[in-house]
Amino acid sequence: MQFKKSDLPKILDSMAKEATVLAPMKVKGNSKFAPWGTEGELDFGAQNVLLPPKDCLFPQTEKMYRFETDGLKVNDFEVINESRPTVLFGLKGCDMQSILCMDDVFLTKGYVDDFYKKKRDDLLTVCINCTTVAKECFCDSMGGSPNGHAAADIQLYDLGESYQVKAQTEKGQKAVDSWQQYCNKDEGEIKEIACELKVDMDGVPEKLAGMFEHPIWEEISRKCVGCGICTFLCPTCYCFDIDTTKDGAEGTKFRCWDSCMFSEYTRMAGGHNPRPSKKERVRNRFLHKLEYFKERYDKNLCVGCGRCVAKCPVNLDITSFIDQVKEVASHE
Amino acid sequence: MSECTCHENPLVPQVCVITDIKKETPDVKTFRVSTRDGKKPFTPMPGQLGMFSILPVGEAMFSITAQGEDYLDFAIKKTGQLTDALHEAEIGQEVGLRGPYGNTFPVEDCKGHDLLFIGGGIGLAPVRSFIRYALEHRGDYGDIDIVYGARSPEDLCFKEDLMENWPKEKNTKVHVTVDQDLSGEWKGSVGFVPAYLESLNFSPEGRKVVLCGPPIMIKFCLQTLAKCGFKDSEVITTLEMRMKCGIGKCGRCNIGSKYVCLDGPVFTMEELSHLPNEY
Repeated sequence: MQFKKSDLPKILDSMAKEATVLAPMKVKGNSKFAPWGTEGELDFGAQNVLLPPKDCLFPQTEKMYRFETDGLKVNDFEVINESRPTVLFGLKGCDMQSILCMDDVFLTKGYVDDFYKKKRDDLLTVCINCTTVAKECFCDSMGGSPNGHAAADIQLYDLGESYQVKAQTEKGQKAVDSWQQYCNKDEGEIKEIACELKVDMDGVPEKLAGMFEHPIWEEISRKCVGCGICTFLCPTCYCFDIDTTKDGAEGTKFRCWDSCMFSEYTRMAGGHNPRPSKKERVRNRFLHKLEYFKERYDKNLCVGCGRCVAKCPVNLDITSFIDQVKEVASHE
Repeated sequence: MSECTCHENPLVPQVCVITDIKKETPDVKTFRVSTRDGKKPFTPMPGQLGMFSILPVGEAMFSITAQGEDYLDFAIKKTGQLTDALHEAEIGQEVGLRGPYGNTFPVEDCKGHDLLFIGGGIGLAPVRSFIRYALEHRGDYGDIDIVYGARSPEDLCFKEDLMENWPKEKNTKVHVTVDQDLSGEWKGSVGFVPAYLESLNFSPEGRKVVLCGPPIMIKFCLQTLAKCGFKDSEVITTLEMRMKCGIGKCGRCNIGSKYVCLDGPVFTMEELSHLPNEY
C-alpha cells in the first residue's frame, strides 16, 4: 500500500496526538530531528540531517536521580526516568543502523540500562529510503544500505508523488493500520541506488588488530585539533560522563555525552592518563569504530553516515584512513 | 539480548551509612559501610569493585578490601576531590553505593596452589580481599606468602594484619619492606619491593602470584618473577582505570575491546599480553 506525499502532514498530525513525532526538520538554520507541530519545516532532502537522532534515546544531558542532603543524612532520594511514546519518522538506513549499535551497548552484555530501555520501548522507528546520496555517504560500504533497513518498524519507499509503506514489525503494523484512510494500492516502482563514496572494509578489523604500534597513528593524529565534533555528530558515539549539579541542599545526578577526544575522559585521580595525547585518543576512536566494537558486538561502529567526514574542521576523514590502512597492509 | 536481573536500575546507588572509620596511614583510611538498616550492602567475591559516592560530591570506583556479616570495608587513599571529602567524613555520613562490579580473583583456579601475594602501598587493598578469603578457606590453599612494601614504616597499610594477625596463621609468612626509614626505629627490611622479592627467591613450582601496586613496582616485580621462572599465566594482577558507569557502557575504561569494569579488573599477565599496552 501507499499514501500520497500530500497526506503526510495529516499522518504526522494523527501520530502526534499520541506520541512525540520527531521528523527531519530545518529549525533556525539547524537541521535535526525535531518535534512535528513545533516551528521548523520538514526536510526530506538528499542530505542527512546534521544532528543524529541519538538524543531521543540517549539525551545529551539526562537527569538520573535527585536527592536532598541534611548534614550527614540523605533525604528524598528519587529516581528520575521519564519517557513518553516517541516516533522517529524519516530515519535513513545509516541512522537506523546506529540505533542497533546503541541497543547492543545499552541492552546487552550483562546489564540493561534502564534509562535507555524505557525510551527504546517507547520508540517507533519509521525509515525512508534515500533517493539520492550525498558525496560523503558510504553506508553501503559499512554493511548498510541507502535503500532501507530491515530493522525499522516501518519502512517507507519514496515513489515520487507517494510513499509505499511496509510494516516490518508488529508495532509497525499497528501504526500502519491507523493510516488506512490515506492509503491506496501500490503503483510505481522502487528505485534502488548506491553510494558513490566507497571504502573496502574487507579484512580491515583484522589488520587493525595488528597495527596498535604502527606509525600511522602519529601521522594521522597530527592534524587533529581535538575539538570533538566527530563524536558529537556521530550517531553511534555513546560515551557518557556522570556528574552532579548542586543547589544548596538539593542535588541532581545526571549523565551527559562525553568524548574520547578529550584528555579528561581517561585522566585518573592522581594524574595518570592511559591516553595522554592526541595520538592515543585518535587511535582509540578509530580502533573502537573499526576493530574493538566489531570484536565485542560483531558490528562496525561506523555506519557510513558521513557526518564526521563532512564536518571535521581539519578533514581527518575516516574513509581516507580506511584506504590508508588497506595500503599499509598490502605493503607488508 | 541477555538481560540481567541483579539490580532494578544498575546506575542508581543504594543509600548506605559509614559505620566506622579507621586511619591506616597519614593518607589512607578504611571506611566501613552498611545499609541504613544495618545489613551488608551486597556480597562481593574477592577482587570485585564498588562504586562509592558522597552524593553531592562525586562517585568513584574502589576495590572492596574486606567484608563481614553486615558490612563492607573500603581502604581509600586521599588523592582527589571525592577522596578528599571522604577523608573529612564522620561516622554516620550517608553515602551512595552500587555494585558489586567486575570479575573476581580466580579463587577456584588457585585451589591446591601455594599463594604469593605481592602488594605495594595502597595496592594491598584489593589483594587483601583475596588474602582474607584464602585464610577463611585455609584448607583449600597451600603455603601463603605475603610480600608488602610501602614508602616508610608509617605508610604501611593494615599494620595489625601484617604484624599480628597474618603471621599467626598456619603456614603463612609475611615479608615487609619499606623504601626508606627516617625514624631509625624500623627493624625490618629497607629497600624496594622488586629487590626484596628477588632476595626471597620464591620457586614457581605449584605457586600462583597475585600482584598489585604502583605501575613502576609492577614492572620490576614482573622482571624478577620472570627471572624466578614464573609463567605469565600464573601471575594475576588487578587494574585501575577511570570509570563512570561500572557496567561496561560509558566507554572510558577500555583496553582494546575489553572493559576493565566488566571484563576486569582482574587479569593474568598472559591475558594482558594479548591486549593493547594502554593502561
